[in-house]
Amino acid sequence: MPEQPPPEMVTISLDGQEIEVPQGEYIIKAAEDQGTYIPRFCYHSRMKPVGLCRMCLVEVETPRGRILTTACNTPVAPEMIVDTESAVVQKAQEGILEFLLINHPLDCPVCDKGGECPLQDQTVAYGPGESRFVEEKRHFEKPIPLSDIVLMDRERCILCARCTRFSEEVSGDPLIEFVGRGNQTHVITFPDEPFASYFSGNTVQICPVGALTAKPYRFKARPWDLEAIESVSMVDASGASISIETSQNEVVRINGVDNDATNHGWLSDKDRFVFQAIHSENRLATPLIRDDAGDLQPASWGDALDRVADALGSVRGDEVASIGGANNTNEEAFALGKFLRTVVVTPHIDAQVGDALNPEFLAGVTPRAEIGDLDGAATILVWAGDLKEEFPTLFLRVRHAVTQMGAKLIVVHPRRTGLDNIAAEKITYRPGEGPEVVRKLTAQGDQDYGAVRDLLTAGPVIALVGLTGRAEDPRLAEAVAAYALGLPGSKVLPLARRANVFGALDMGLAPTLLPGRVPVKSESGRAELESHWGPLPGEAGLDTAGIIAGLAAGDLKALLLVGADPVRDGRNPDAVRAALDAAEFVVSLDMFLNDSNQQASVILPVDGFAETEGTVTNIEGRVQKVNRILPGPGQSRALWSILDELSSRMGGQLGAGDGPAIAKEIALVAPAYRSMTWDRLEWGPERDGVVMPDRDGVQELRFVPDDSGLRPTAGRLALHSGRVLYDGGTRNTQSPALAGLTPDPAVYLHPRDASALALADGQEVDVAGEFGTVRLRLELDPSLAEGSAYVPANLDSTWVLGVPDVVTVEAQSSKGKKNEKKKGKKKGAGE
Amino acid sequence: MSVATVISDWSAPNQERARTLLEAYPERRSAAMPLLYLASLEHGHLTPAAMAQVAELTGLTSAQVQSVASFYTMYKRDHVGRYLISVCTSISCFLMGADDVLEAIEEETGTPDGTTSSDGTFSVEHVECIGACGGAPAVQVNYELVEGVAPERGATLCRWLRESSPEVVVTDEMQKYFGGVRSFDWGITETVGAIAPVPAFGPYGSTGEESA
Ligand code: SF4
Ligand code: FES
Ligand code: FES
Repeated sequence: MPEQPPPEMVTISLDGQEIEVPQGEYIIKAAEDQGTYIPRFCYHSRMKPVGLCRMCLVEVETPRGRILTTACNTPVAPEMIVDTESAVVQKAQEGILEFLLINHPLDCPVCDKGGECPLQDQTVAYGPGESRFVEEKRHFEKPIPLSDIVLMDRERCILCARCTRFSEEVSGDPLIEFVGRGNQTHVITFPDEPFASYFSGNTVQICPVGALTAKPYRFKARPWDLEAIESVSMVDASGASISIETSQNEVVRINGVDNDATNHGWLSDKDRFVFQAIHSENRLATPLIRDDAGDLQPASWGDALDRVADALGSVRGDEVASIGGANNTNEEAFALGKFLRTVVVTPHIDAQVGDALNPEFLAGVTPRAEIGDLDGAATILVWAGDLKEEFPTLFLRVRHAVTQMGAKLIVVHPRRTGLDNIAAEKITYRPGEGPEVVRKLTAQGDQDYGAVRDLLTAGPVIALVGLTGRAEDPRLAEAVAAYALGLPGSKVLPLARRANVFGALDMGLAPTLLPGRVPVKSESGRAELESHWGPLPGEAGLDTAGIIAGLAAGDLKALLLVGADPVRDGRNPDAVRAALDAAEFVVSLDMFLNDSNQQASVILPVDGFAETEGTVTNIEGRVQKVNRILPGPGQSRALWSILDELSSRMGGQLGAGDGPAIAKEIALVAPAYRSMTWDRLEWGPERDGVVMPDRDGVQELRFVPDDSGLRPTAGRLALHSGRVLYDGGTRNTQSPALAGLTPDPAVYLHPRDASALALADGQEVDVAGEFGTVRLRLELDPSLAEGSAYVPANLDSTWVLGVPDVVTVEAQSSKGKKNEKKKGKKKGAGE
Repeated sequence: MSVATVISDWSAPNQERARTLLEAYPERRSAAMPLLYLASLEHGHLTPAAMAQVAELTGLTSAQVQSVASFYTMYKRDHVGRYLISVCTSISCFLMGADDVLEAIEEETGTPDGTTSSDGTFSVEHVECIGACGGAPAVQVNYELVEGVAPERGATLCRWLRESSPEVVVTDEMQKYFGGVRSFDWGITETVGAIAPVPAFGPYGSTGEESA
């Protein structure tokens, strides 16, 4: 955490006891930290207090005598005397509860909140025991959908405004608000404007009654039947803490857990509902082997592993390559790396697919920021993908730093982003012209971007740096980081999206890295690892692009796909498919069939989210524990155990006994992880995660990026291939709650570009690039730089386009010819 | 988006007013409430479309604008008749027989409390204290006040409105013919009245000429 000056302390008397509390703290928080719980409904520690519900009344001595006041929005003052339990306070609490219950139905037995309901609990603890209300309660039609996910039972609402404040203050999309007044007040959306927020599920979690419910959990379970375990969301690499809750061996709910270092308790709806995919009927549950006729047939583990061992053993080690592993735990990634380097003996290992950044940059950029540094930043520079789409919980932290902590925000992106409305400055540039922007920012006396440069003179500057889109040159991020590191008091937070990509790189799933952030080219580092593992390949291996080329050229013969879909993620989907077809042998270790492993020779079902125990590492290098609450479906197995058995079949020794054993080996051989143990993360103050390296850990890799060799690319319509949260990826499409939220595919052009091409809003157009053509609806988007075209990545049809640098956009007309040609080519490639 | 594009369906003077209002506040959202009156004046009442327009103008969401509009009873989200009769039923007026006044007016206009007559002439509502307790029972027509309105006078007032359908209603004029005891003599003669059941905008002289 960033250093903050210790707060000034004052002494107050709380229920007759003298205590020291930070000046300015609200009574409710000060008391809670001392172990005195003051009941509350509207107060939420991550939002500003409003004093709406009056449940937190306490007595405070004032010069005018003792008064009842709300503890949630009264700050402590020196010598304050507070009474939380007096007869007057108790009377007030009883009164408030009696009032709240006047309009609250007594439907707890059929209410999802029953059993974990603050209103229920506090009525038992502080209520009067009976009501004097004999009149008719208010009734509403119930429930009404606020969105595709969230439902509202209005008569249960106690008007605490937690949900509405969340959506205004925290997520910044106030699509729900109170309407009416007095007895008729309720929370609702505007007609025909649903509560389509990426963060709507948080309101369900913080509603202190059962007014807001989420469809996936409604009537699914009772709280007292739930089993829960803490873990980490695997949606992006920000490391949001969650609790996974199951009933009868099925995950029914995920709630956010307040982790001060990462998500503050908030989740995106994708974090929250993506668990549905693990129970999809399309999950792979048995090993599959392709028979002579070319069909996949269920097989026993024995047969499948024999087949893989034979195939991998029949070629030279360095003719084998592996793509993927960024969605696995560190322990699994480590086992995979060790299997590849010591049993197969190949250096061609890459966890990154498609939108890869230099692994040395991601793992070793120095100084590297922590998420918490945002709160102390004077200026935040975001030059990366749209955080709202790619890192939703990190997006909330940036929002928090800007709207609550006063940081100034600069966003640099080819298009509008979710952060623009709170940005002090925004630079929109044409994809490919990023280097020009860097040059202008750096050049002394350049006329452009004066305001931006002024802001950047105020440190500390925290720079969030990643790829803005898939078509961008990955070296741009390094150039941006190099620039940012020259700014006052600056630190860089490198952004790559896949859940545990940072862990995978730290475990050596990169062509240039060994476990523990050791570069392959480091003689001493390699020697150290060889003392444990025996001789290792000394050369750096091929990255994913090189592997694809190698397969196509026949230099590589066999491929492992570990939870990866390089066809969908590839720059040139057809070429990737052709390369996979050219491979002699492809084994896929995955949870689902996808566009890449359909043609694999062997497919092995692996355990995934909620089914494996281990650790993961986020963008900061923070290691957190993920936990297992379920077995995988059918015969699926943990990745490390599959690799362990494969090793013995191949005459090797992986020594991956179980998760804890691997964790011990990581601590032994991975320098940056030297002090890491599961125990540290399970309980106590380090439960929020530990940033590596700490204490005894050492990091040899100190990557200081440079900006050499980067040239702007030009072309008429430069492609911006940005990611969207609800894309056509397997986890989304296999989660019913999310599947319907995928946006309609479209191509976006600046209105002037569209009119220059004589194209109209809403028209069907053909978008063509080097690798493919796709027919899309045209949407005008004045937020784009002129001369660019935005096509959301990985939607059901758009992925076919691949990632060309430039595209042409034409009215659909007699261009059938062109399509034909493409199709023909594809067929040829596929055979 | 420019003001003109958002409210291109508004009359030119009201577009101009909207622009002035938006410039009058350092924060755009502060203009929401007067703009809601303006939108009501433009459309006769606050339509969802108009609320969305105000949201667009002020940078609020439509849900937030709806929240404001629904909190205040003087923003009408349903059709309002040409004459909005507001009968005070708070304590002073209640003690002076407001219930009978309301009943007489409901009967005369054929419009139950809280509704609008089918021909669109009248809306009748009961309201809380309108600051004329000294002249109770009090009634407003398009927010123009009449004091000391006995039940039969209330009925006559409504009949007059229906039969002569005045363009403008003016307090002093109505007080003279249909009012009773006044709280006090205001000492000035009100010649400015209302042309629509919307307060705050459209002050017109009794001759129908704009005076402001
Ligand atoms: S719906 Fe729930 S969170 Fe929202 S105001 Fe009502 S009680 Fe509070
Ligand atoms: S918690 Fe203090 S008023 Fe609601
Ligand atoms: S009570 Fe009717 S005007 Fe005050």
